Amino acid sequence: MVDVSTIYLVAGDTVEAVEAELRDTIEEPQLVDWQTQWQPALIETLRALAQRGVPMAKWPQSWHWDWRQKRAGVAGLLAYPGFSVVAQGVTQGLAQIDLTRSARAPEHAGKPFAYVDYLEVAPWNRSDLGKTPRLKGVGTALLSATVALSDQEGFRGRIGLHSLPQADDFYRRKGLTDLGPDAQYQGLRYFEMSEDHARAFLEEE
Amino acid sequence: MTLNLTDAEMRVLDDLSARKDLSKTAVLRQALRLYQAVETRVEKGDKLVFENESTREKAELMLL
Repeated sequence: MVDVSTIYLVAGDTVEAVEAELRDTIEEPQLVDWQTQWQPALIETLRALAQRGVPMAKWPQSWHWDWRQKRAGVAGLLAYPGFSVVAQGVTQGLAQIDLTRSARAPEHAGKPFAYVDYLEVAPWNRSDLGKTPRLKGVGTALLSATVALSDQEGFRGRIGLHSLPQADDFYRRKGLTDLGPDAQYQGLRYFEMSEDHARAFLEEE
Repeated sequence: MTLNLTDAEMRVLDDLSARKDLSKTAVLRQALRLYQAVETRVEKGDKLVFENESTREKAELMLL
């Protein structure tokens, strides 16, 4: 059974609160939104960036992610839950979690945690593409849901992830510890949130 | 449901619970996730291989 919680996002233009659903799964309607709403918006964004001469290095680094393929690869597996945020009738963000991995930081090395395999917000909610995001807080909501899941599973809120360079600052702002580039993972920076940080993060959010 | 474990199995569960900082229920839930994930990969034809980081020696775990 799908667990649906009410959360509140912020409208980028009016700064008003916008009611949203946080769902503890990714289902077919979310994948349809990704295909029919995110993809055209992303193509439009890439076209605009190319026309403005923006170098490819500054394009959304998750542009090639195929959410349908990602979910098909873990269908029915208990270890890979997903989250989605739905607002204004459309999916605003998606995350896929891996519960099979262990933490690396010395203070909790070897202990299980929730690893964020993929986290992405809809193209119109990105703040790094030169436009005002339609909704703010989607990424934070997905991160909060992951910390809460880690806590529910007995992992004391510990989480970890490899960050795309464009998201490094977001995760630093959220209090994750930057453990540096990971040579085993395309040189992406690796971040972890300890149980102390997780407690403070959940209280703050 | 009732779970029947031998003393030796119970000691392993206690040890994992302490080492992983998890409740016994959380250990069993984690074990179920891992078992299912491994089984699914093996059914697809993948092998489960352990590699020693320092010696690079590899050993395949046979799942029958």
